[in-house]
Amino acid sequence: MTVRSRRSDIAAAALTLLLAWLVIYPILVVAADAAHPSALRAFLTRSGEWAALWASVWISLVSVILAAAIGIPLAFLFEWFDFPGRKTLGALIALPVVLPPLVGVIAFLFLYGESGFIARAIQSLLHLQNAPWRLQGSVAILLVHAYSMYVYFYLFTRAGLAKLDVSMLEAAQALGADRRATLWRVIVPLLRPSLVGAAILTFMTALGSFSAPYIFGGGFRVMTTQIVATKLNGDLPLAMVETVALALVAVAGLIILRRTEGDDILVALGKGIAPRPRPIRRASVRRLATIAGWGLTVLLLLPHLTLILVSLVPYGAWTTEILPPVMNLANYRRLFSEAERLRPMWNSLWMAAASTAVAVVLALAAGWLVVRRRVALRRAIEALLALPWALPGTVFAIALAITFSVHAPLQLRFVLVGTAVILPLAFLVRALPLTGRGVLAAYRQLDPSLEEAAASLGAGRWRTLMRVTLPQLRPGLAAGASLAFVAALGDIVASIVLYTYETRPVSIEILSSLRLSETGVAAAFGVVLMLVSAVVLGVGARR
Amino acid sequence: MSGFLQIQAIAKRWGHGVTVGPISLDIARGEILALLGPSGSGKTTMLRLLAGFETADGGRIAVANEDVTAVSPAQRRFGMVFQHYALFPHLDVGQNVGFGLRGKGKGDEGRVGQKVSEALTLVDLAGFERRKVHELSGGQQQRVALARALAPEPRVLLLDEPLSNLDPALRERTRHELREVIQRVGITTVFVTHEQEEAFDLGDRIAVLNQGRLEQTGAPDELYEHPVNLFVATFVGRANVFRGNAARALGANGQGVLVVRPERLRFAGAGLPGIVRERRYIGAAAFFVVEGDDHERFEVLAESDAAKVGERVYVEATRVIAL
Repeated sequence: MTVRSRRSDIAAAALTLLLAWLVIYPILVVAADAAHPSALRAFLTRSGEWAALWASVWISLVSVILAAAIGIPLAFLFEWFDFPGRKTLGALIALPVVLPPLVGVIAFLFLYGESGFIARAIQSLLHLQNAPWRLQGSVAILLVHAYSMYVYFYLFTRAGLAKLDVSMLEAAQALGADRRATLWRVIVPLLRPSLVGAAILTFMTALGSFSAPYIFGGGFRVMTTQIVATKLNGDLPLAMVETVALALVAVAGLIILRRTEGDDILVALGKGIAPRPRPIRRASVRRLATIAGWGLTVLLLLPHLTLILVSLVPYGAWTTEILPPVMNLANYRRLFSEAERLRPMWNSLWMAAASTAVAVVLALAAGWLVVRRRVALRRAIEALLALPWALPGTVFAIALAITFSVHAPLQLRFVLVGTAVILPLAFLVRALPLTGRGVLAAYRQLDPSLEEAAASLGAGRWRTLMRVTLPQLRPGLAAGASLAFVAALGDIVASIVLYTYETRPVSIEILSSLRLSETGVAAAFGVVLMLVSAVVLGVGARR
Repeated sequence: MSGFLQIQAIAKRWGHGVTVGPISLDIARGEILALLGPSGSGKTTMLRLLAGFETADGGRIAVANEDVTAVSPAQRRFGMVFQHYALFPHLDVGQNVGFGLRGKGKGDEGRVGQKVSEALTLVDLAGFERRKVHELSGGQQQRVALARALAPEPRVLLLDEPLSNLDPALRERTRHELREVIQRVGITTVFVTHEQEEAFDLGDRIAVLNQGRLEQTGAPDELYEHPVNLFVATFVGRANVFRGNAARALGANGQGVLVVRPERLRFAGAGLPGIVRERRYIGAAAFFVVEGDDHERFEVLAESDAAKVGERVYVEATRVIAL
């Protein structure tokens, strides 16, 4: 064995241990502690627990169905048909992704809530005594989920359609298959990996969703809100059992959905040339598609617009009118002039930046060891990087809260809860799958002969990394890092379990502003998060 | 005589003023026609017009006197082998070959299975039904694509650069197998290629296309010996082009252009003078690159010891093509 490969084996071992300590160890601690007989009995016998678990499951499944029903047709419409505004609308339609979960939820609250914009308008138009509806319970949660998660189906299906080889469709036609037969016998099977991917992502996101059930749930509990409530009540043993139960459901869901993916048939034969979008020829259909497209876009952008509108209304100025009587920048002025309001902004920014930076470095190290050096531990490293993605954020939040509230250096446990380190650490765990996936995929596509060429031209390792490897990895790296940064910036799930007053992030500040009925300030925070997210995602998506 | 497959003044206008056609061709039943041309000559457009993937801006296509110009690809019953085969990766070999057979006689699984196995036997892949397509070699994939196109018993077989995806060693063998299968089935075939050797070897007749126009149609030796213009003369086979004094030295009268194949030139005691600049040995013979007095360069195919580099020689032509 050469010195070089021994050195990479040592590095791989160190990386594996570090990742295991971050990703698996806290889960194991919780699982071990959860085997507490009285807590187990409490969980098994209380009907509320089972109801919450079942609610989590069916809400997630229905979310998948709704998101698919909206996202897939839209993807076909925008990928295959040409009509005025197709390009602009096709980009705008993905805009729900720039709303962090909590911000999206409060935008829905301001828009469709019982004292929201729409309800208020209807109430005054029809001279009703009370609000026409209450936005609460499972319907409200599903509405928010469908709105924010159809984007996964839309983007995955579009990407799948774009990769489709037009000669496949022509071959089916030449063999006598009509449009329906081509769709069902060729297109859908070829899209299956994309569709299953979107379904898994939607299911996992819905299962881990916290903001919507927290704000709209009322008496309707899902497992994530149940866990946090139990933790806040101080019943730690029960919270641990609940955490383990949610983790098991997540893993089971993942395994079942993976089954439907079928054999790996992604091996493309020959080069794929995607079909050109077909212009819609009939003028009436064309007009209809255009109107529907624009109408839909306005509908999708209403939450963003409402958020901006509410953020411009000073405290207490808007009571019963349909449109706000006063609009100015007072809320933003308060945001940027009051030190206590500026702090959460800085907290969120630095914690997101730090966790993303570390996640990028770890992903690069993993990419180099797994793809280039092909170390023996490569499967372990890949699995550890991907694992946090398979479990809801609440599970990790509770696991970290429990593992790092004890001082036991020999067990590698330290008191980190209450310090400024714990939240960035939680964000880092959540960031690993995103940066890891981006970097590994990019590394696999990177032709090793490029690095060899650089070496043969006399470039040292550092120069090769900076001038050849990193520029080649940049698109994957930027995509993963921007997603990780935005997720950390808007995080609520980990924050609500782990924050301290000093380190409180924006989402916690939004919640407390809402509690004080300072909707304008909450909305202004939301707008800032939305804009920063949009810019970061925009930069990350550049090729 | 009217052909089995009739192409009448078919034309396609792309944007940017690029036009293919109008082209007319008659193809007899059972004939193998090669569409030969450089890239951008419109040969692939022609094939896609025949398949129905492109709609013509003018003209007419008929098979056995049935107008199919407006018939959709799915109804046209033309078999097609794609350049990159377009085998469905989610189906196995048998399902791929059976794809075009289903829906005709529903519930007739046994009949479909038998047709699939017949088609596979035809291309020498008997028993390959349950194989995955990505496990096959390039040559096997090509044969599966052929079996799939032939299984529904199409009226015309279309092949898009059928051998371009194979490595050169395999190409010649596959070419012969392909010709054998086509002849055994007796199907009318149109195929696209940019390689003269392939067109000669596989085609009964060749249509030479250039910049969207049909330059000449004919049997291989006809194109080689009697090209109608300079393009066909130089695109089909190796050719030396002589003008002016050099042309006159080789026997041309007037201002005409003279085309002479390298094997139709020989060293002699008198004729066109020049100096041997290069000798390329190819085994049985050698190509001699000769530079004439007006610095024009041409190739002579002769016995490998016929001349030496640097030697002053005289060249005469045994057969010329005057254009």
